[in-house]
Amino acid sequence: MHQKEINTDMPFLSIKDLKVEYKSDGQIVHAVNDVSLQLERGKTLGLVGETGAGKTTIAKSILRILPDVGSHIANGEIYLEGENLLKLSETDMRKIRGNKVSMIFQDPMTALNPVLRVGDQIAEVVSLHSDSNNRAEHEKRAKEMLEIVGIPAERYYAYPHQFSGGMKQRVVIAIALACNPDLLLADEPTTALDVTIQAQVLDLIAELRNKYNTAMLLITHDMGVVAQVCDTVAVIYAGRIIEYGTKQQIFKHPSHPYTIGLFGAIPDMNEDEEWLHPIDGLPPDPTNLPQGCSFAPRCKFATDACWKEPISMNKTQDGHDCRCCRIEAVMKGED
Amino acid sequence: MNPVIEVKNLKKYFTTPRGMLHAVDDVTFTIEKGRTLGVVGESGCGKSTLGRTIIHLHESTEGQILLNGKDVTNLKGKDLRQAREKMQIIFQDPYSSLDPRKTIDSTIREPLIVSRRFTKSQIDQKTQELMDLVGIDERLRKAYPHELDGGRRQRVGIARALALEPEFVVCDEPVSALDVSIQAQVLNLLKKLQKEKGLTYMFVTHDMSVVRHISDDICVMYLGQVVEKCSSKELFKTPLHPYTRALLSAIPSTDIDKPNKREILRGEITSPVNPKPGCRFAARCPYAKEECLKQQKQEEISPGHFVTCCRLQEISSSYN
Repeated sequence: MHQKEINTDMPFLSIKDLKVEYKSDGQIVHAVNDVSLQLERGKTLGLVGETGAGKTTIAKSILRILPDVGSHIANGEIYLEGENLLKLSETDMRKIRGNKVSMIFQDPMTALNPVLRVGDQIAEVVSLHSDSNNRAEHEKRAKEMLEIVGIPAERYYAYPHQFSGGMKQRVVIAIALACNPDLLLADEPTTALDVTIQAQVLDLIAELRNKYNTAMLLITHDMGVVAQVCDTVAVIYAGRIIEYGTKQQIFKHPSHPYTIGLFGAIPDMNEDEEWLHPIDGLPPDPTNLPQGCSFAPRCKFATDACWKEPISMNKTQDGHDCRCCRIEAVMKGED
Repeated sequence: MNPVIEVKNLKKYFTTPRGMLHAVDDVTFTIEKGRTLGVVGESGCGKSTLGRTIIHLHESTEGQILLNGKDVTNLKGKDLRQAREKMQIIFQDPYSSLDPRKTIDSTIREPLIVSRRFTKSQIDQKTQELMDLVGIDERLRKAYPHELDGGRRQRVGIARALALEPEFVVCDEPVSALDVSIQAQVLNLLKKLQKEKGLTYMFVTHDMSVVRHISDDICVMYLGQVVEKCSSKELFKTPLHPYTRALLSAIPSTDIDKPNKREILRGEITSPVNPKPGCRFAARCPYAKEECLKQQKQEEISPGHFVTCCRLQEISSSYN
């Protein structure tokens, strides 16, 4: 092993000013803009936002699995236990992937290889990160993992198409957890599942997290899942964190008009309403972000000041971060 | 009473190497004009198969499907094509249900051409009207699906389904792939179109908050069978079948002060291949006893509230 300079004062995972760009048709897509996050061991950070907000790109940047062609980490640092992952060699990075940091991918239908037996796909991860070449041992571990995620071990020899969506997702989780990672990047792990299965999977993840003190970055758009699982929440919009605080702060006092809108758009389980309250319009074109607040075009509180220059993080009354210059007006509900 | 769709004892079995897969087993319901029936259940419970069988994307194994009182169960050829104009479907995945090589314009235009009822200029005009109806900008007329976000793609899917002015639309998880802010836009659009055109929906979903919002009545399905059926209000107020109760308790609540009291289900899901008679939920049901292994009957517990559970009388007193 090479010598590492480990800074123990730092949080377990710390992302600083991350900026990721994609090149597409000669245009630059600003996917992630100046994102800073911290996460401690055993804690769960929820990353909430719409499709295209840059959630998955952040997770992929941590693992350095962005596409080689066309993507580019323009700025920033990602520290895991004080070590800057962006400075590691590809060989060292490969040791981290799947072992120390692993990822549950969103779509279980495409994350698995259709022509390999599910068990072998779990065993593959184990063998890659194990010092021994004992196949039987890896197979045993894979069977163990299947049992842990609630699939009978004899289904080891099944192919992905023989499994239901929920079972496939559990296989994907088994692959991600096979090496007891310290950091789990869960990209919408339950979005494709039914609620009863979702409840089982969330419980499973929570159980394993408690057992191994795993830190988790949970990417989701389901506020209910966030409410159940997360300790802190970062709301992301057009590649920027627009609100960041503890779960209590975000759920009790959502302060950014986008966060408030997001809560309003969910059909209420306890009240009857004829019409839902969607947020009008669409997220901005990431190749051409507004100069000021990226939510301004959809925001009913926007004034001239919002359009002029980038908005800095402000503190709300209860002390969490909110990237809005009109917090007071928003709180009073004045247009 | 003006039922648009009547389904009577509908069965759809698939032949598999291991035996008969009972995807839809003895399902009966009616949907009246302008109303929405929500069908909820876990993946693989047959809710999508049910929708597809009704509109003849699958041939039914047994049972009857009536459209406006007319038996359409075994239609073929030209008659089927005509009946299908009145029954359409909006698919779950707006990413795979649109032809990637067709422009938005030609996707919406296609059903109009296929029907052979319209002249070229009528088709042009109708395509334009449909795009306006679902709120797609004129500038996207010549765009391809990959240039559109999920919400807009689903709007194209809706426009295509409504092109021939159907009366009955199966909405197969139409908003599952969308973000909440966009989901709300599409749900509002579906509701608005229903009001304007008197559409009748069968809304298949696994999202309980969505089904509660959009449905008048709800069917809860488990492994091909309807276990509970009643009005949407009633279902959320007094869920009776143990499965419905587990389903409702599993919804993650956004109220962080009231963590869910979840009834986590244990046990394996029974295989729908050659199922034994008796309650299919019994293997996972906390209340199951021997009598549950016998054939179950659907009973009307209160007016309009149907439950299939032989132990309901006994166990419902323990519900709080």
